[in-house]
Amino acid sequence: MSAPVLILDGLTKSYGALCATRDVSLQVAAGEIHALIGPNGAGKTTLVRQIYGSETPDSGTIRLCGQTVNHLSVPQRVRRGIGRSFQISNVLMGFTVFENAVIAEAARRGEAFRFLRPAFSDPALVEGAMAILVRVGIEGRAGTRVADLAHGEKRLLELALALAGDPALLLLDEPMAGAGPEETQHMIEIIARLRSDVGILLIEHDMDAVFRLADQVTVLVEGAVIASGEPQAVAADAAVRAAYLGGDDDAEA
Amino acid sequence: MTLILLLEQIFNGLQLGVTLFLIAAGLTLILGIMDFVFLAHGAQVMIGAYAAASLTALTGNFYLGILLAIPVTFASGYLLEFLLIRHLYRRSHMDQVLATFGLILFFNELIRIGFGPAALFSSLPASLSGFVTILPETPYPVFRLLVIGVGLACALGIHLLVSRTKIGAMVRAGANNEAMTAALGVNIRVLRRLVFAAGACFAGIAGMMLGPLTAVEPGMGEPLLILSLVVIIIGGIGSVRGAFIAAILIGVVDTLGRVLLPVILRSFMDQAAADGAGPALASMMVYILMSLVLVVRPSGLFPPKG
Amino acid sequence: MTLFHILVDGLARNRLLVVILAGFALFPIYTGIADLPFWNDLAMRIMILGMAAMGLNLVLGYGGMVSFGHAAFVGIGAYAVGISQFYGLDNGWIHVLISLLACGVLGLVIGFLSLRTTGIYFIMITLAFAQMLYFLFISLEEFGGDDGMSIDRADFMPIDLWEPLRLYYLIWVALLCVSLFLMVIVRSRFGVVLEAIRGNESRVEAMGLVPLRFKITGYVISAMICGLAGTMFASWQEYVSPDIMHWTRSGELMIIIILGGIGTLAGPLLGAVAFLLLEEWLPELMHVVAPEYAENWMIIFGPVLIAVVLFARGGLIGLIRRIGGGGS
Repeated sequence: MSAPVLILDGLTKSYGALCATRDVSLQVAAGEIHALIGPNGAGKTTLVRQIYGSETPDSGTIRLCGQTVNHLSVPQRVRRGIGRSFQISNVLMGFTVFENAVIAEAARRGEAFRFLRPAFSDPALVEGAMAILVRVGIEGRAGTRVADLAHGEKRLLELALALAGDPALLLLDEPMAGAGPEETQHMIEIIARLRSDVGILLIEHDMDAVFRLADQVTVLVEGAVIASGEPQAVAADAAVRAAYLGGDDDAEA
Repeated sequence: MTLILLLEQIFNGLQLGVTLFLIAAGLTLILGIMDFVFLAHGAQVMIGAYAAASLTALTGNFYLGILLAIPVTFASGYLLEFLLIRHLYRRSHMDQVLATFGLILFFNELIRIGFGPAALFSSLPASLSGFVTILPETPYPVFRLLVIGVGLACALGIHLLVSRTKIGAMVRAGANNEAMTAALGVNIRVLRRLVFAAGACFAGIAGMMLGPLTAVEPGMGEPLLILSLVVIIIGGIGSVRGAFIAAILIGVVDTLGRVLLPVILRSFMDQAAADGAGPALASMMVYILMSLVLVVRPSGLFPPKG
Repeated sequence: MTLFHILVDGLARNRLLVVILAGFALFPIYTGIADLPFWNDLAMRIMILGMAAMGLNLVLGYGGMVSFGHAAFVGIGAYAVGISQFYGLDNGWIHVLISLLACGVLGLVIGFLSLRTTGIYFIMITLAFAQMLYFLFISLEEFGGDDGMSIDRADFMPIDLWEPLRLYYLIWVALLCVSLFLMVIVRSRFGVVLEAIRGNESRVEAMGLVPLRFKITGYVISAMICGLAGTMFASWQEYVSPDIMHWTRSGELMIIIILGGIGTLAGPLLGAVAFLLLEEWLPELMHVVAPEYAENWMIIFGPVLIAVVLFARGGLIGLIRRIGGGGS
């Protein structure tokens, strides 16, 4: 593939006696979907938070597109090229789908700190906002208030906002969480289409989705990497089977 | 400023400190654990003071008055929580601010109607009006000593309650976590009510102790409320231990400051200006202290763990 | 989009506010005909209070920051006039400049120190800062201390404020400027992001924006608006004392905001109307209904406030919307 957009090197983090992240190293290349799986409590979200910047690792480096970002704040890392979708929908309530996209577009252009023109009728922003919505296919719901969206639609908007900043690295934290089978399929198709430009780190419990999408899989158990590689190889790994893959379809336990 | 006067002021500071603690203890729990902006806590102080004053007048006995006033204030806090407060936990802070602000207006006016706007002065029984020699040549009012004693006893009581009892464990675990407290077999609604009532009770005790020292009048609680908020901010919201340390600190600093500042100012200002500026600047001192703490440690000196 | 278009767009979106402003502009004609000059005085007071409430509403209603400090900014604006006059500076325009500057700087400092915290901390800290300023001004004996200082109507060359209705329309113009300003920025990118931060700060961060920057800016702007209101207040009341910056005054502003309708532009102004009319009429009502308790009319106010909080959160604007079935 191409150059790695994300390089984690020896990341370690403890909360008192609890070691949440043990010497984790992994890489995500551009155009690659890298799935991060593991049982609940394995430390997947903690790891993502360290990459994202809302937690600080005790040691180890995080490199985004070749540059160390350990010292950068969340907004700074986002501007450098990280997009994140949250496990629990984190969209702007009180606004419509369209308005959410407009704000994201204004932020992307670095034009959020402006005081004159009405934001939602600004033609420059409108165009970019609609493009954001088209990418995930919810442009039809543009005028709907977020509170009135179905769960699956909220997850789509969540994904759209993560993409809005044209990130190099996409952190998707269980994007399919709570979605029905149709919505899940739709989401899988969209994520698959994103592959061309973006590097994606995908946390998922839905094994079907993981094996359909992932180019690489890393298994995290109790904060440590126990296996990493192509999906077939990982699925066959004895340690992984023992620790995690109990059956065919892992339930959302 | 002789040593004797200084000692006397330190004791006065201690007395103010424990009074502030009694008020702050309940409030820090209400703010920190129930996340409820209870601005009307000062009204609880006022209710306690008036309850004690009127029950003393009724029974003719100071001790009886206070003894009876304690369950009255507990009940008032309990009722208030049941009738109004519990409907506001889910609301925004702004709503809580406004509702409790309305409560302040209501209670102040209610007291004004019931007892008139003028201040009541309660007198002490003979047994408490005397002086005691705490150190050679240092007479100190018995009653103030009693206030310090009562305050420390309450502090000990609260400490034991919070750290040794099952209820205290619940409170420490966070009376806000419905799932957890339900799993532990505790009715969270009742727990909140008890915490609230206890806070009201201690604030009321502070009011009862203050009655004979200052005026019992409508709105007497508000200045103390603000000072308690500063105590809580410095001590750390949700921390009873922090409230205690901060309260003593502020009580002593404020009292000594008011006395010493004019003296210090007089050395480079004329008498009149120094006497005028002194108390006001001393009042500011506490806030300056708070600002310093905030710059260095935004969550207070002893924030609760976890 | 030219500035003209932007303003027209703002006016079109806030028809109720435009109506109220027009009402205030035409009001003196009515009082002139009906010979009720006292009502002009009341109207001026409403406009000033409304202005201050609109300033606070920017951070409170739109930005979600419950700040108790804003009465202090009103006070600073008023004292800017008094202190300037004390030193022989009589030009009203300069008073306004000084007031905006002082409130801007103070707003920046207090905002920066306070906005590092959130929730209950923030509320308590702004309350404490307000009290600190209150005590500061009490201690300034030179400027009247506890007793306050009297103020002459400032010299707003070429306007002579002693001519009838000049002060009224000066205040009205100030209110108009504040209204137009808010109409525009509330819908601008800045305003929209500020509102977004109120609901979901982490998503705004996830878009690559720094929420603190927006919050502090909003805080400073709102402080300056309150300062302007205070400057007008000084000329109107011809007196200023530290009481104006007591934390309970901030509480009053919050009451006004919720009475009118939080997070709307016209709300605070409507709320000021309601609040001051209540203040005028409740005592009258008590005189009729329960004359022995006429002095204690405030006892009704507390429960009314609680009732509004519990049952009528949309305030008067919410009521109007429900009746009218929609509006600006």
